[in-house]
Amino acid sequence: MKYLVYILTLLSLLSCTKTELGPQCEDCPKEPITTTNFTDVLIVNEGNYTNGNASLSFYKSETQEVYNNVYSNANSGLPLGDVAQSALQIGDKLYVVVNNSSKIAVLDANNFETIQTISGFNSPRYILPINNQKAYVSDLYANAISILDLNTSTISGTIPTNGWTEKMLLHNDTAYVCNYNNSKILIINTATNTIVGDIATGKGVNSITLDKNNKIWVLCNGGINEEIPSIVQFNPTNRVIEKTILFTDITHSPSNLTFNDVKDEFVFINQDVFKMSINDNSLPSTPFITRTTGSLFYGLGISPINNEIYIADAKDYVQKGDVYRYSYSGSLIHQFEAGIIPSDFLFFNQ
Amino acid sequence: MKHFLFILFFLPFFCFAQTDTTITYTTFELQEDKILPSYKTTLIDSARSKTALTLAELIQNNSAVFIKSYGTGLASISFRGTGASHTQVLWNGITLNSPMNGQVDFSLYPTVFFDNVSLNYGASGLNAGNGALGGSVILNNGVNFTPHFKSTIQQAAGSFGHYTTSLSSSFSKNNWFSETQLYYTNQQNNYPYKNNTEIGSPIETLDNAKKIQYGFQQAIFKRIKNQTFGVRFLYYNSDRNLVAPITSRTTKEKQQDESVRCLFEWKGNYKKLHYKFLSGIVKDVINYEETTTNNKSNNETYLFDNLINIKLHLNKNIIINNNFNIRYEVANANGLTNKKKRFNNSWLLGISQKYNRINIDVINRFLMVGDEQQPVAPNVNMLFQLLKKKELYIKVNTGINYHYPTFNDLFWVQGGDANLKPEESKMAEMGLLYKQNTPFINTKTELTAFYNYVTNWIIWLPTEFGYWQPKNLQEVENKGIEASLELSSPKAKAIKISSSVHYTYTLSTNKKAKLNNDNSLEKQLIYVPYHKLSYYVAAEYKKTAITYQFNYTGKRYVTSDNDWYMPANYISDLILSRKMELNDKFNLVGSFKVNNLFNQDYQSIAYRPMPGRNYLLNIALGFKK
Repeated sequence: MKYLVYILTLLSLLSCTKTELGPQCEDCPKEPITTTNFTDVLIVNEGNYTNGNASLSFYKSETQEVYNNVYSNANSGLPLGDVAQSALQIGDKLYVVVNNSSKIAVLDANNFETIQTISGFNSPRYILPINNQKAYVSDLYANAISILDLNTSTISGTIPTNGWTEKMLLHNDTAYVCNYNNSKILIINTATNTIVGDIATGKGVNSITLDKNNKIWVLCNGGINEEIPSIVQFNPTNRVIEKTILFTDITHSPSNLTFNDVKDEFVFINQDVFKMSINDNSLPSTPFITRTTGSLFYGLGISPINNEIYIADAKDYVQKGDVYRYSYSGSLIHQFEAGIIPSDFLFFNQ
Repeated sequence: MKHFLFILFFLPFFCFAQTDTTITYTTFELQEDKILPSYKTTLIDSARSKTALTLAELIQNNSAVFIKSYGTGLASISFRGTGASHTQVLWNGITLNSPMNGQVDFSLYPTVFFDNVSLNYGASGLNAGNGALGGSVILNNGVNFTPHFKSTIQQAAGSFGHYTTSLSSSFSKNNWFSETQLYYTNQQNNYPYKNNTEIGSPIETLDNAKKIQYGFQQAIFKRIKNQTFGVRFLYYNSDRNLVAPITSRTTKEKQQDESVRCLFEWKGNYKKLHYKFLSGIVKDVINYEETTTNNKSNNETYLFDNLINIKLHLNKNIIINNNFNIRYEVANANGLTNKKKRFNNSWLLGISQKYNRINIDVINRFLMVGDEQQPVAPNVNMLFQLLKKKELYIKVNTGINYHYPTFNDLFWVQGGDANLKPEESKMAEMGLLYKQNTPFINTKTELTAFYNYVTNWIIWLPTEFGYWQPKNLQEVENKGIEASLELSSPKAKAIKISSSVHYTYTLSTNKKAKLNNDNSLEKQLIYVPYHKLSYYVAAEYKKTAITYQFNYTGKRYVTSDNDWYMPANYISDLILSRKMELNDKFNLVGSFKVNNLFNQDYQSIAYRPMPGRNYLLNIALGFKK
């Protein structure tokens, strides 16, 4: 019997050689990816809150090849962080906003290697380039928009706000910012970095985008059973709301209003995916793309080169999600697996 | 404040008589009927309890049950692949599981507050109450009417700003028994760890990990002929920072826990009748705060637990057991909109019979929870002695148990669903037990194969509406093997050796697809290790003792599709202690413990680093009369 104890002791001594630390991927390819071109798509996988499992997936639309964990593979196995919110390409650089890690990772757009990590944010959400010098970063808890100096990759200042700021839009040197918890769009003079006014919308403003007639469209999810969700169109020149389309059900939580290339039609998620024209005055009665059992449409993107629609299915949030690639007419081209909670799409522009 | 006054009131009780020595352990009345239990159970005795500071650490090192530890604070349990709320925790007969989430935080139980712990596996949990789908943890305090007086005061100091002070006294005279424990700990937990989220894994220091906890327990029991009456009171207050994962270090969470427990017990026997009445109140308050987002929550729960147990010894071979449990649960929390209350009652009827070498227990529990009734929750145990002269037994055990949805499942805003069904577990196990005592060594070996199938398992799933909702959608099959070996040398030997090994192999498989193309189907549940092993060996010669303990937690997945896993960890501890008799009344025990002897860098949960090698020095001054 004592021998058993000795054997066990020896076993535990042997264990000293162990080197793996933290979560490991079971059968993931580990090779880094090198070049990207304008037909490629980057998928931001949010990951679970506090689990640190955010990741980036890379999709070559021409060959239908999928590469998961590209950030990790390009950066000696390091995790991207906790809750990756959005990504943006500016020139040769990718800016990945990692919400709960309070940082923006600046990556080389050709190989995903880290160039720099910008910290000092509170809970960053989206990034909006204003000119070659600066960008705005919206924030969930900071009560401020951070001004990012694009040359030095440092925070050069802040614009105080009241509450949660979400997606942003730049039009004629004016920034329009969704003020999620205050049911309004903030209007910012980008020359002076000051808020010059606001436009009242519905609760939970989560999307903002511009159509071909230079009208701004926003989508309000209505909060959680607080208000009927709505689509609001306003004229930025006189700040007058010209159209409000109400949803039918207070429990609904629509999101991701996204325009096509010529900006005359848009799609959005409301459990299923719906498609509308800017001239429509009511919601479509039937979905454009229907979900299957257990699907949870969570993110959406339209490719600027061919109008193909990419839909992220987060499923149950705890396993890897799916991405569906549809033609603009609504036929499925390809379905593939991405990371945990795929949410944002970035279409490379070079 | 009120509680503090209460403590002050009791202080003089033991202060004037303060003296005492080695932790005084009283004789236990754990197995009231001195027969071998016919189900699988692990007893962690008082001697082993001394080797750990918290219940989490104790169970981790002395059984193969998995403790999910978040580092410095928060620890939950997983028995045989089930969830944290599927383990019932009882304190001297009173249920401690929160009516809100059904769980207990195992990091908040200092070992000084109890004498021993028994872990009951599988269907045998039904004996303790409804809700135990995986097993139950039973915290016991003994009552000793042998005239005595003993007291121990201990001071521990360790790495990373750790100071713990405790006092434990008990005395008995004229059929009165009183015991008192006091506990205070202050831990900075500012330990270095390898930051595996940065290039080169630099060594950094854990921040925002402080913990202060104090507590107090007082029991007074009186024996009159063949009856005993007693009250037991326990209070603790804990103020701690919850460490954020390395990947989100701007999060600053803190939590204050306060718990008040009081129970009244009356037991005795009249002719062939054994009776026991228990009445207890458990009040738990949790104040949580996230300082950067100013997110606060305040939870208050009350449990009123009443137990009437009547055992009739019909003859030498037949016992009829009647158990009425009237429990009232109350919760008041931000997330529940208004105060929630319900009765959670049950009635257990059981017969234990003995024929020659076979013991059979048949029990049934009738459950009445809220408006719902579940008349049939049975459990059949059998113990069969294979050979007449050898202590070789076969154990067979099967049963059904239910776990009712918690208040959070039913009423949480947003998402709670009042129409949820109870979770149901069908369990079966079979085991071999062999005991042998020789002049050189005593051994106890046990091998068990278990199976349980849980249906209507409640899981919270995201919805299209922007919040999560609980659903009776999961079905899980848990099966595995448990093996244990306990060795000890008879007391008379000059060198006393004791050792135990506990091993479990668990396959915990998701059997139901929740969606099309479900990658979690037929996969191992997250944070259920396939392999878990713990062992210790202790040797004592004259007044010096040395203990080595080892704990292995195998690979466990962190995503339900089993793409990502946490690597196995192997942790060793070493304890050296020496006892000095100062005179015939006083003694001094000094012990030095090295935790994580080989300085393993590891994380039990993703991105929550555990401490490397660290030291704890403990001095105990004991008095005995």
